[in-house]
Amino acid sequence: MKYLAKAASLTVLSLTATSTAASAQVTTQTYETAPVILSAPVANAYASNSYASDPDFCINTLSGFQTENPEARYQFYTLTQEIARDASPELRTALTHYSQGDTVAPDANILDVIEDATNPVLRQAAPEITVANLAYVIDFASQCDTALSGQINSLKAYDPALGNAEFNAMISEDALFLRQILSDSLVRLGADTDPQYGAITGTYADSLVRTRDAVEFTAFVSEVDELEALYMTDLDGRLKRSNDMINEEMDLEVLGDAVGLSNSMDAAAAKRAKQERILSLIRIMGGRL
Amino acid sequence: MTRHLSSRAPRLRTKLVGTTLLSGVMLLSACASTATGQKQSAMVGSAQAEAFRAQRPAGGVLAVIRYPAVVETAAKDKYYDAFRASPIGGSVPSNADQSLQEGIADSVIVKSNYFALSLYKELAARLPEHGVLLSPHAVKLGPDGRLTSEPITQAESIPNVVSVDFATYSFPDPKKMMGSEPLTFGDLVTPLITVRTDHRAAAETQGVLLASEDILKTAAGAGRDEVTKNLTKMQRGQFDTTPSELDFVSYLRRDRGMDVATQRLNGDASFNAVMSYPLEKIKLDKTALSQLNSATSGSVDPLERVFSDAMADRVIGIINDVDVNQAVMASRAAAIAEFDPSLAALTFVGSSSADYQARARYAERLLEAQRKYLSVQSLRIFDGIHNGEMGVQMRDMILAEYNVLDKRRKMAKQQNTATALSVLAAIGAVGVMSQDKGSDGRSSYGEYLLTNALIQSAFYAGTQAYSLKQQSKSVAGNYLSSIVPALEQQTTVTVDLIDSNETITAIRYEDLQTKLQELYTTRQRALNTVATRCGFYDAGGATGTWMGVCNGGRANGNGVGVVQSGDGRAIEYYGYASGGVANGPGLMIVHEPNRSFTLEGNFSSGQADGAMRVAEAGKSDQFRSYNAGRDVGAAQSAPASPFTSAPPAPVSRASAPRLVNPQAAPRRVAPRVIQSAPKAAPAIAPPIAPVVPKS
Repeated sequence: MKYLAKAASLTVLSLTATSTAASAQVTTQTYETAPVILSAPVANAYASNSYASDPDFCINTLSGFQTENPEARYQFYTLTQEIARDASPELRTALTHYSQGDTVAPDANILDVIEDATNPVLRQAAPEITVANLAYVIDFASQCDTALSGQINSLKAYDPALGNAEFNAMISEDALFLRQILSDSLVRLGADTDPQYGAITGTYADSLVRTRDAVEFTAFVSEVDELEALYMTDLDGRLKRSNDMINEEMDLEVLGDAVGLSNSMDAAAAKRAKQERILSLIRIMGGRL
Repeated sequence: MTRHLSSRAPRLRTKLVGTTLLSGVMLLSACASTATGQKQSAMVGSAQAEAFRAQRPAGGVLAVIRYPAVVETAAKDKYYDAFRASPIGGSVPSNADQSLQEGIADSVIVKSNYFALSLYKELAARLPEHGVLLSPHAVKLGPDGRLTSEPITQAESIPNVVSVDFATYSFPDPKKMMGSEPLTFGDLVTPLITVRTDHRAAAETQGVLLASEDILKTAAGAGRDEVTKNLTKMQRGQFDTTPSELDFVSYLRRDRGMDVATQRLNGDASFNAVMSYPLEKIKLDKTALSQLNSATSGSVDPLERVFSDAMADRVIGIINDVDVNQAVMASRAAAIAEFDPSLAALTFVGSSSADYQARARYAERLLEAQRKYLSVQSLRIFDGIHNGEMGVQMRDMILAEYNVLDKRRKMAKQQNTATALSVLAAIGAVGVMSQDKGSDGRSSYGEYLLTNALIQSAFYAGTQAYSLKQQSKSVAGNYLSSIVPALEQQTTVTVDLIDSNETITAIRYEDLQTKLQELYTTRQRALNTVATRCGFYDAGGATGTWMGVCNGGRANGNGVGVVQSGDGRAIEYYGYASGGVANGPGLMIVHEPNRSFTLEGNFSSGQADGAMRVAEAGKSDQFRSYNAGRDVGAAQSAPASPFTSAPPAPVSRASAPRLVNPQAAPRRVAPRVIQSAPKAAPAIAPPIAPVVPKS
């Protein structure tokens, strides 16, 4: 979470190992297809709306993000989008259910909502509030995806360095941490054993494992790429220098000498053959030549 | 003198005419060849140019070109002896000049080094980046004192789909240079080729896919030896990582050959047979040859149009037809076992579980880094030999040889003219003798003079022909004996370049490997199920080894099993097992002393059970139905494959493996006509009794 902490004036998020526990446990379970409950209520009043139906909500909420520098804005826009990853309608239904009536005010500052979601005390004492906070962020990301994507693309166009893989991997890790908090809170609330929501809770936990694997693999690849580039450039340079040196040592006259020697031997042989032919002719002509 | 001659002339004349005629006929019958070669290789036209469309194996290369790069000093004598004793394309007289033969033997190595680069260049242009590697071999003495070869670089330590053994060859008798015997000299090149894959992708031909006809049996025999070595290691619970020696060296050593099904170059690709490539003397591209002494000679390749271009097309076609996964699965597992033994055996069949998927991706990325690194080395070996002074001198040498050959060709033409003249003169003399008689039936003095002159002309022309023949031989002998220092220099520089490249690479490669493995160890996640070693049994109860998922000391999950008996029989199995025996989708290769065949489909209690793909030598793949190990007719459904199917459900539940569409299978062979009557089991059934009739 170092990027979050650096970019925003948020309270330092307290990361604990417990957040991964839920997801680690569920990997060994097998889940059936999640039941689809389309008629269930959503997590907050704006969840079913689209950007077109209420652009003011998106604009107002976006204004709650960091505005000082493009990097910070990019981080939070991307983080919000990443938090909403793998949040299917079924999961959002479950979030509404486990918010247990807690909702976030429509005009709430999004940074405050994220900060609340990471509050360790709330996570322990009132996980339903954590669920409600993150449900708000997910709903916002879903409803305002068009605006968020637009902002992200504009920022990338403004500063291509924002597309840096390592930087984005860090944001993904932060988002994954928040998603793990959500999964953890759902388990605390008993969603994993709930006949109605157990399957979707498990599916979500599985998706966290896959995302965790992908994030870690991206970091691994990034490090391997660096090593590769470093070593390959180094190797190529060394080999080239060595090749040039060995080639320069080559005695270019050896072949010329060999061919010259061969030619003079041929010339001598030709001369001998000519003499022998003349002698043969003399013998044939009975010595009259 | 004239009188004396006159009185004895008729008898002498008859003798002379007879002798001249005889020598003329002899000369005519031994009319000098002008050492012509084929304008282009048989490969040209037989191979269709096709784009690479196979899937590149993760962490592996598509082709490795292996060639003899150097003969170690200690092995020189053995090499020369073997080279003399195992000629291709004729027999060598015992009185042949040994020093010249050794020159030819040396030139075979020098030329192989250079012309292998032509094929490398063509393949590199057709395959994805870092898709082809060079693997120069050192010919050396093995621990048993016999000739062998070992790769100088680590190019063969990573998985590859096909390996191409390349060597140029010259008949070891310089006197036959102008004859029909194989030759690599001047504008003539005789390639010796073997294209092989791992035997798991072509068990029926012991992995050999294409080979020069003279070394084909040796290549198949070497393939079989490799199979035995491989299985013996697996029986001990290890993966074989030792690269095989060059087929050219196996041939020189007169290794035991093996009969395998063969077909012509343009035969049916789906046929399980080795494509036989005829021995041919190819004439280099004349236009390219004329540009060899220009400033841009480095970009000129006289072998490209007449051979390498078509050969590369052929190799691409072969790669497209080979089952890439089966070709690399063993070498990939062997490479992974070096740093992650728990994962290695699981990679044969794979798994869809998140932990396996994640860990396999890490391992593949590690191999990928190694592949790229070794590819840089190959590119630099190419650059060092082809583009430096070394390449310039090599091209000068080809030109010098071309001049020698050209000189001999001109002499051969002169020799042929002289021979013709001697014959004509002899015929003229006979004609004069028989027709120009005086009234008394005796020859006139004028007729005698004419006859005498014709006989003398015949003699002289014959002498001249003989002299030209001797001179022509001395031209070759002079060149071969004087070129020795240049050949030695070429060899030294080649060795220096390859050695230096290898030394630098190895030091840095080792360093890189350490760093990559550290990274792998710290980053990779835990596996829920790991591969171990336990018991695997055939249907008859013979014990073998299983590497993969085990339970209670028996095979129980996916992995690889081997059961090897002492009489040359063995089975190898890749797929799912339960209770120590094959159970579920699997690929089984059955080896008998003189043949090998493959069964792919569902197994139950150790026996083939259900639809099977059956691959036998000399036939296209067939789809048959099996019941408890017995062939009961044509398959009514497509067979399962362990490489695409989901793992079988526990034994208590009925489970149908996911099916492979035969039309989508790599070999693209349609099922054959249904045979209604079940077939009888062979007299000696292979271990798990997959019943395949002997061809």
